[in-house]
Amino acid sequence: MIKEFTILVSMVLLLAGFVLVHYVTHNGISSKEMLSSVTKVTKLSSPTLSVAYYEPRVLSYEEVLNPAYPQMQTMNKMDLVYAK
Amino acid sequence: MPSRILMNNAFLHFLTLLLFKQKGKHIGAVLISVIIIFLLSSVLFISSSLQNTLLGTLENQSDFTLSRVQAGKAINTPSDWLDKVLEINGISKVAPRVYGRYFFTPREKSFLVVGVDLFDEQSSKELQSLVKGLDLKSFLSTDSMLVGEGVKAFLSEHYYKDSFSFKTPQGSFKKVKIQQTLPSQTNLIANDMIIMSIDLAREVFGLGEDEVTDITFNVPNDAEWDNIIGKLHLLFYDVRVVEKREIRKAYENLYNYKGGLFLILYLVAMVTFMLILYQRYSMVYSTERKEIGILRAVGWSIKDILKLKFYETAVVVLVSFVLGVALAYLYVFIWDAPLLSQIFLGGANLPNQVEFVPVLEFGLLGSIFLFYAIPFLAAVLIPAWKIAVTPPKEAML
Repeated sequence: MIKEFTILVSMVLLLAGFVLVHYVTHNGISSKEMLSSVTKVTKLSSPTLSVAYYEPRVLSYEEVLNPAYPQMQTMNKMDLVYAK
Repeated sequence: MPSRILMNNAFLHFLTLLLFKQKGKHIGAVLISVIIIFLLSSVLFISSSLQNTLLGTLENQSDFTLSRVQAGKAINTPSDWLDKVLEINGISKVAPRVYGRYFFTPREKSFLVVGVDLFDEQSSKELQSLVKGLDLKSFLSTDSMLVGEGVKAFLSEHYYKDSFSFKTPQGSFKKVKIQQTLPSQTNLIANDMIIMSIDLAREVFGLGEDEVTDITFNVPNDAEWDNIIGKLHLLFYDVRVVEKREIRKAYENLYNYKGGLFLILYLVAMVTFMLILYQRYSMVYSTERKEIGILRAVGWSIKDILKLKFYETAVVVLVSFVLGVALAYLYVFIWDAPLLSQIFLGGANLPNQVEFVPVLEFGLLGSIFLFYAIPFLAAVLIPAWKIAVTPPKEAML
């Protein structure tokens, strides 16, 4: 093996090692506990969707209707990105 | 000892020499691969982190939500329904909810105002553990509110440093003091949220004392769920019941990459890339053909040549994959995915800086690797094999 290759492999391994160490040592529990507390207090668990005023903010509880065609199936930009 | 063998292995020496001698040829493939894997991994990291976190918080939400409907739209629910619901056997923890969106018309932005019953012992305890140093007595003695980070930044920008005046449906103004800001770790749920006492929220939205937005309750016995829904529909005729399992399904689908455009985009990008690679390697490349021809002429078998090409490509694939995934991890979990997070959480209302909780799904990463590595190897090995099976003289022509 040539020296350049050894350096390249070491750098890639170092990066992968850093990621693994961060993943193992990161404390995600406090963030999750805080979010759970908000849900317990507000009884709402919907994510903060930064949506326009005519789009639903609280999932499963709010729906948009087209004022001109109320029976038409509506579609907003979040539906376009995600499955419904 | 094994490392020494590796260092002195002639084949490995030749392979690594070849890789670095022809680095111009490989850099392009590595760059495109890293970009494709980085984008795909970033999207999957964000979606799995959001899904994981939201499903965790859903555990603390009530099993059912009941609201009154009129002409297919949810309207305010009478608070005396609370007692009627409580009378049904098997139902527990019946609670009212008052919430809604308050529109700040001058800037066309909205906040989610939530009224909380602060005399409920559990709610007040949770609130105190959530907001460090919250003086509940002073919070209750004046018209005060707790605001999310996004709301705080927006109000400060518009010179509402200590208080904000809500315009009620009656046309009067209600001045509410900004008591404290919710921690930044709660931005995923509470960035645009305003928490205040339930009576104050009623006043802001113009709700009567006998009205709530909806009612939540639990049914501890899962087997009773369908039965309870039936009872509720017999008790009230203008009612909509939302189950927790429906919301769970909605969350599972919401950030599911399978349903999104991302997988399709990824497939289009991968197929295009593989076609380019195949085209490139199958073209009559004089240097490539000459190289394989020379190796064949000096006694290398077809198997040896394929082995060389396989390892050469495997190094490119592995380096690109590790770099792509690691960069995506840094981008999402350390730099909080600027720009890309807006695709998931939107950007039309208040700007949101969400801290993503690291979630690595190794099975998914393995699948990405296979979907990427196999077509890549095939796109390189098939043309190489085609050249290797031709006689060396013809190959070098």
